[in-house]
Amino acid sequence: MNNILSNIIRCTIALLLQIFICNYIHLFGYLTPAIYLFALFLLPLDIPKSAQYLIAFVLGFIVDMFMHTLGVNAAACIILMFARPYIIHLLNGRKTTESNDIPTPAYKDFRWLLGFVFILSFVHQATFVMLETFSFHHFGRTLVVILGNTVLTTAIILSIEYLFYSQSQRA
Amino acid sequence: MNNLIEFFKNNFHHLVAAVLLIICFVMIGHSMSYNRYKIARICQSITMPVEKSWGKLLRQFNLSKENEQLVQQNMDLLRERDNMYLIKEDTTLTQMSETDSVHTTRTRMYDYTYAHVTFSTTDKPFNYIIIDKGSKDGIERDMAVLSPSGVVGVVNDVSKNFSSIIPIPHLDTRISAVIPSISQVGTLVWDGNDPGVAFLKDVPQHLEINIGDSVLTSGYSTIYPKGVLIGTVKEVSTKQNATFLTIRVKLASDFKNLDMVYVVKNLYRSEIDSLKANFKNE
Repeated sequence: MNNILSNIIRCTIALLLQIFICNYIHLFGYLTPAIYLFALFLLPLDIPKSAQYLIAFVLGFIVDMFMHTLGVNAAACIILMFARPYIIHLLNGRKTTESNDIPTPAYKDFRWLLGFVFILSFVHQATFVMLETFSFHHFGRTLVVILGNTVLTTAIILSIEYLFYSQSQRA
Repeated sequence: MNNLIEFFKNNFHHLVAAVLLIICFVMIGHSMSYNRYKIARICQSITMPVEKSWGKLLRQFNLSKENEQLVQQNMDLLRERDNMYLIKEDTTLTQMSETDSVHTTRTRMYDYTYAHVTFSTTDKPFNYIIIDKGSKDGIERDMAVLSPSGVVGVVNDVSKNFSSIIPIPHLDTRISAVIPSISQVGTLVWDGNDPGVAFLKDVPQHLEINIGDSVLTSGYSTIYPKGVLIGTVKEVSTKQNATFLTIRVKLASDFKNLDMVYVVKNLYRSEIDSLKANFKNE
């Protein structure tokens, strides 16, 4: 119960940060970080997958409403959710995947976290930016935006995780 | 059959993902078409109020920048006013014979720049104002200083980055002023009391002056352009045995809350002053 509540609070805070602050950041003119993703990264792995997809969809949709990009963020979030277990599996390597892997500094080392956040942010941003531009014109620019956004998002989310999630929270 | 149910049970989440993705793509497809779409309109009705109030708040941060732009724009407009120009009719004999119509030329006489007030006093008999532009920015002695609402004073001293100004509330102030409704020129002085009120001297008693008449600069000096508002007539009184009226003028500029001022340069000042220098009155 406590877990559900903390997840809801985390999602709400992530949404508020995204809608009210990050959507107004346009670094160098076109880089906008997607920091609401950290709520999705920290979503427990042991809840039903269909519920994970639904949460991802709802979060993405709400952000979409405020970015005037209906469906784009939502689609990217669903693809992120789809990729998440595979990325965890990939990063864990030979080690068996635990069902309650928690991607926070308290449980994982920096390289693992960096890979996790970077790859998933990249997946999200690649989907998001490609769907938003919806053309291969100026593909170089699209790539720059994808990479820039990914780096920016990774940096912000990692700092959030190291600031607020370095202590063990497993009760 | 059992197999099929089992299959759906195991892959239910994939189905959910697929359905949600399809919904997304339908929405994306809709937003790509040019006719306005229903979903987006419903969403906008939800987000609009939030965006509006938040946007209002965010705009506060840009106010100073916006203000700067407005000042610049304002200055450009002020520079184009007629009293900034020397308007001459070409009435040389050769031209008169060639054309009947009188040809006029406009030559720029005054130029503007702006500055911010960094320090000012209003409670002393010899008040002063410091502005944040100096000789580096082309400020020189005896340039006129105006505020958006009216005359402020005259540049007294210039350093590299700053200048000091003698405002109207200063005992040495002498400004040639005119009341346009009676076209009477007088001299504006300050008596050392209220920084918002000055006195207009040298206006003969027989003239009818209404409270609220505006007092403008006459343009007879080389400092101020013609027709800039100084203030409005607040009170007219006559002293016994005096030949002139005592006119209290409420100053247009609020000297206690000055922030932005314009500095006006007379481009022909040295030329006019060189003519004046031949008359050794002083």
